[in-house]
Amino acid sequence: MMRYWWLGPILIAVLLLPLLIGEFWVHVAIEILILGLFAMSFNMIFGYMGQLTFGHAAYFGVGAYATGLLLVKTAVPLPICLAVSMVAAGIFALIIGYFCVRMTGIYFAILTMAFGQLLYYIIFQWYSFTGGDDGLQGIVPPEWLISASAYYYFTLFIVVAALIVMWFISESPFGYTMRSIRENADRTRFIGINVRQYMLINFVVAGMFAGLAGGLLGPFNRSIAPDLCNWHQSGVPVFMTVIGGPLGFFGPMIGSVIYTFLFAFVTGFTEYWPLTIGLVIIFVVLFMPGGVLGLAQSKLKIMGAKDLAPEEQESTDTETY
Amino acid sequence: MTILKVERLNKAFGGLLATCNVSYEMQIGELSAIIGPNGAGKSTFFNLLTGYHRADSGRVLFQGKNITNWPPHKIARLGIARAFQVSNIYLALTTYENVRQAILAQQKKTLNFFTPAHRLAKSEAEKLLEVAGLSRHAHMVAGNLSQGDKKRLELAIALGSKPELLFLDEPTAGMSREETYETMSLVKRLNREMHLTILFTEHDMAVVFGYARRLTVLHQGSIIAEGSPEEVRSNETAQKIYLGEDA
Repeated sequence: MMRYWWLGPILIAVLLLPLLIGEFWVHVAIEILILGLFAMSFNMIFGYMGQLTFGHAAYFGVGAYATGLLLVKTAVPLPICLAVSMVAAGIFALIIGYFCVRMTGIYFAILTMAFGQLLYYIIFQWYSFTGGDDGLQGIVPPEWLISASAYYYFTLFIVVAALIVMWFISESPFGYTMRSIRENADRTRFIGINVRQYMLINFVVAGMFAGLAGGLLGPFNRSIAPDLCNWHQSGVPVFMTVIGGPLGFFGPMIGSVIYTFLFAFVTGFTEYWPLTIGLVIIFVVLFMPGGVLGLAQSKLKIMGAKDLAPEEQESTDTETY
Repeated sequence: MTILKVERLNKAFGGLLATCNVSYEMQIGELSAIIGPNGAGKSTFFNLLTGYHRADSGRVLFQGKNITNWPPHKIARLGIARAFQVSNIYLALTTYENVRQAILAQQKKTLNFFTPAHRLAKSEAEKLLEVAGLSRHAHMVAGNLSQGDKKRLELAIALGSKPELLFLDEPTAGMSREETYETMSLVKRLNREMHLTILFTEHDMAVVFGYARRLTVLHQGSIIAEGSPEEVRSNETAQKIYLGEDA
């Protein structure tokens, strides 16, 4: 466990954060957590399973709409709304994933994107149920979560709990089976694993975590819009993961910190946000192909990234056997 | 007792008959080889038996069960494992993780979401690495292993499935003479001591005649000769087609 000493100071800093910064930045921190969870769920498919999904916003959006609709139209308590968000997103991921896991590579990416857009247009057009392009307004969190710092702690609790579960999954036999499918799907079939079925299970689990992240968004923004399901939104976790590094567990969360912080900071004084993030991505891809975490890992050998990207780490360790 | 029975198996790729009316039988405990020149259909035959290709016609029976055209994972679960000609391993995982993955799959533990994998199948994985002679490379990334060790790992992964019937596609390809000897001794031990039924393909005649107790000669997708090494050696057709050129 000594490898994870650095988690302690980070946790303390994260807990003290709302006392140290203004309300605007608390809002930014909440967004970092929500989008970070979204990106981490994306990376279950991208980093672990080795497939690029370009329709992950669909499950984020379904989660957001599930909680949003329940809060607007019923009196269901928020924690239950979030559970419903997870289940709803999981069901959509099951139906969509059933078709998508038949493909790999570019076809997988295109198919996930096509289904994502399909869902987007349904939500966009279905005025009577989803509010169409007006979105949903007046999604009010319960009384005890009205203040920014209360909602921050609530989000922090949920996201940390989700990350712990995801950590266990990544270290479990199932997590290693995902790595083995990424590395060599054929070999994995011949040791007796139904690759498609496992890919589908992973797709559903990833969709559920995306749904949870989406559920947290509505009460935070007080409103949601169909754009949440659009393909731009599917690109967000891709950017975050590329920036943070797909081959380490915390990579997408680090990417979210950088991306979301930059967004809040840059849009404060210029409208050229797409230009800025474009330059950042170009820089990362050209000069740090493993993302920030890949760089940190090769320099410091920390951050728990060993299991996903063992090349650099293990080769140096084993030279003296 | 018959463990494998193949009846009039056919497979064509376009106009090319890769497997032509092949009938074949194996008894429990056999150590046999299939030989034949490049393109004779050896790998295709293995691919048909393990579900990688679909047969056009014919039947494959394993322990009396019809497994023709079953998907690979189902065939593997029944107790048929294979090692590939070109080592087919998890390059970015460590040697240890490679064999552990096969063992976890065999133990049906891969749907476990919450027990850290490093706590499972420890003794089995260590023992298997020892058997394969890979213990000292346990924590090396598989992609950094030498060619010979990669082939050994390939074999270890196949053994991790605890098969009853093992197919080895050129298990010593790319190995040095010494590595070849070590690997084939291991194959022999697996057959003798663990009563594993093994079928291998090979083009090194010294290996074939030294270890296999029964040979089958494949040529252009058909079986042209079968029998003990001595019988095959003296078979005229076999000599003409194959041995004449190589041995």
